[in-house]
Amino acid sequence: MDRRPRPPLSRRRMLQASALALPGAWALASCAREQPLGAPAPASSAAGAPASSAAAAPSPSATLQIASPQNPVKWPINPGNEPIASGLEPEANATLRLYNFPDYLDKAVIKDFTKEYSDYNVKVEYSTFNDYSEAMTKIRSGTVPYDVSFLTYTYIAKLVYGDLIRPLNHDYVPNIEDVWTEFQNPWYDLEWQYTVPYVIYTTGIGWRADLISEDIGALANPYDVFWDSAYAGKLAVLDDNREVIGMTILRDGGTDVNTADPAALELARDAMLEMLGMTQPRVTITGYTDIPEGVLSLSQCWSGDMITGQYYMPEGLDSSVLRYWSPPDGRGLINNDFMVVLKGGENPVLAHHFLNYMIGKDVSLKNFSWVGYQPPLRALTPKSMVADGYIPKNLAGAVVQPEWFKVGYPLLELQPQVQAEYDAIWQQFKAGA
Amino acid sequence: MVWIALFFLVPLYVVLCVAFGTSDPVFRTAIPIWNPLEWQFAQVQVVWERLFGADNFYLPVVLRTIVYVVLAVCGCLLIAFPVAYFTARFAGRFRGLVLALLIAPFIISYMMRMLAWINLLQPDGLVNSIITLGGLLPLEVNWLSGKPYVVVMGLVYGYIPYMLLPLFVALDRISPSLLEAARDLGAGGVSTFRRVILPMSIPGIVAGTLLVSLPMMGDYFTSDMLSKSPKTTMIGNLINLSIVSPGQAGQAGALLILVLLVLLVPMVWYTRSNARAEVRS
Repeated sequence: MDRRPRPPLSRRRMLQASALALPGAWALASCAREQPLGAPAPASSAAGAPASSAAAAPSPSATLQIASPQNPVKWPINPGNEPIASGLEPEANATLRLYNFPDYLDKAVIKDFTKEYSDYNVKVEYSTFNDYSEAMTKIRSGTVPYDVSFLTYTYIAKLVYGDLIRPLNHDYVPNIEDVWTEFQNPWYDLEWQYTVPYVIYTTGIGWRADLISEDIGALANPYDVFWDSAYAGKLAVLDDNREVIGMTILRDGGTDVNTADPAALELARDAMLEMLGMTQPRVTITGYTDIPEGVLSLSQCWSGDMITGQYYMPEGLDSSVLRYWSPPDGRGLINNDFMVVLKGGENPVLAHHFLNYMIGKDVSLKNFSWVGYQPPLRALTPKSMVADGYIPKNLAGAVVQPEWFKVGYPLLELQPQVQAEYDAIWQQFKAGA
Repeated sequence: MVWIALFFLVPLYVVLCVAFGTSDPVFRTAIPIWNPLEWQFAQVQVVWERLFGADNFYLPVVLRTIVYVVLAVCGCLLIAFPVAYFTARFAGRFRGLVLALLIAPFIISYMMRMLAWINLLQPDGLVNSIITLGGLLPLEVNWLSGKPYVVVMGLVYGYIPYMLLPLFVALDRISPSLLEAARDLGAGGVSTFRRVILPMSIPGIVAGTLLVSLPMMGDYFTSDMLSKSPKTTMIGNLINLSIVSPGQAGQAGALLILVLLVLLVPMVWYTRSNARAEVRS
């Protein structure tokens, strides 16, 4: 064995070593953010066909059953994933793990829940994701046994296909009577087998009237502001490829915001690149703070963002300067989020209780007054929302009307290969080239 | 060797397996291919096409990143050099303390410091208050509206300690008697700097430049925080976007490898030039 003494570490060597260590560290850091590895779970087709392993036979042309208002779907319940039995007690000494966007649930509501279930010594842990793809990846990986998540129907087939969510036992969720009847049998989950509605929202344009002299809502085509160089450097679009592509299609007179037509997508891509050149929009989902604070004068945003925005006004500035526009006839982007009980969770009974708790009238209203996103509550009529002070008059346009769900354009789940096309357009847009 | 294998070679191999792998047909998550003989090149080809093909929208991002990094490195150098020089030359027995105080703000996490900048650069923030003399002058600038120079400034601020430390080490090694000798021989301040200080600080400049520019090349956070505009997207942002977009992890891996290969060139040059310098000395 070589026992020669090592030469002392010179400063030159030290500098050299530290410089050399960086690429390795950088590669490692990037590795840490890679998607978890491994094959997908054995899955049944959405139509309930025999299970097939996607890992064993990867196929670039895999197809999913897509739910839409014209094609409502009753999802199958896969063998081994039956609903829990009725009459069970909530798990005692449990930690209920919620998985949601940041700032998308009132912490006081969570605290109240732990008080209400104090006999069971319940704790609640709130974890967050930044976007749905991150959420899906973590839920699939199963590394954290989340009990409840707040998702949307652009992932519903995958959630069922991947056996990631539990079917609900309706006995535990009597408060469903408090929500609009449409959501007691929604097209994306007939007979609400897996989902309970959370909030509803439109996608439109928010702005500050003291910074934008024009009445955006009065323009012939309000979406045109994103292509108007007069607003260069002052505006933003949502950091969500479906929302931006959808808005671009609507602006150009289209109505199929879920198109798989390559020609229509190419047109949308060209229009988005034109927008980039004309107004250099920022890409963000923080309009609810950026508009009130004046960082942005105008932004594509969700209706709930502007309602929340009134609580982020700088000192000395009244929220009456906030404005929101979405098509007043309801023919714009309109969607809803829902709550699901995740199969990987350890507390399914408590999770059912939580869902029921959340859609109860009082809790739902309390949560609404904090997150700004409207729950589809029977007790909450558009008129009462303004009259009761939940929404100021200047933001009355942010109230979602029930009839809009009949004429509006929801962003549906896409076939994986079509979603790849949308992602490629988004990549090009975000490259700023 | 164990260290390098565990923390560099194995992760690099995983990245390669993802880059040359495939993705789940439904969830579009990455499926790495562990056997190099079965590697597929579709993802790498996509990246190549986007760099050098007809639809080369990655190329402007690469060029933009290089410009930002060059400007930010120059900024770091211009600020850090005099600070390091005066600390090394005039701080005397307090130089350790001065150095510690200089880098103290950087103990706070990068994210927190960027968030602090967001507050400072708000339309009604401190920076605008100062340049408008408390609102007297109509000079308000919306710093956070996607301006390239704000991103470069963020990079300078974020990475300057990595320039400061090697520069200090190099400048500290210059014997004061050498500077006195230069003056005795008639050299003025500029001449002393050009013919004595600068040549002797080159190892520090090179090390600092490498230490600063390498992480800057992969930085995505600064642009995300201070700009959020596609017009300031850097390579790191593209890699990050690919990672968080389902089905594009392979492209992220391919981009990563490409950048790594490009960065290896100055690294190898640096190592070889150091080895030669040591032999000479």
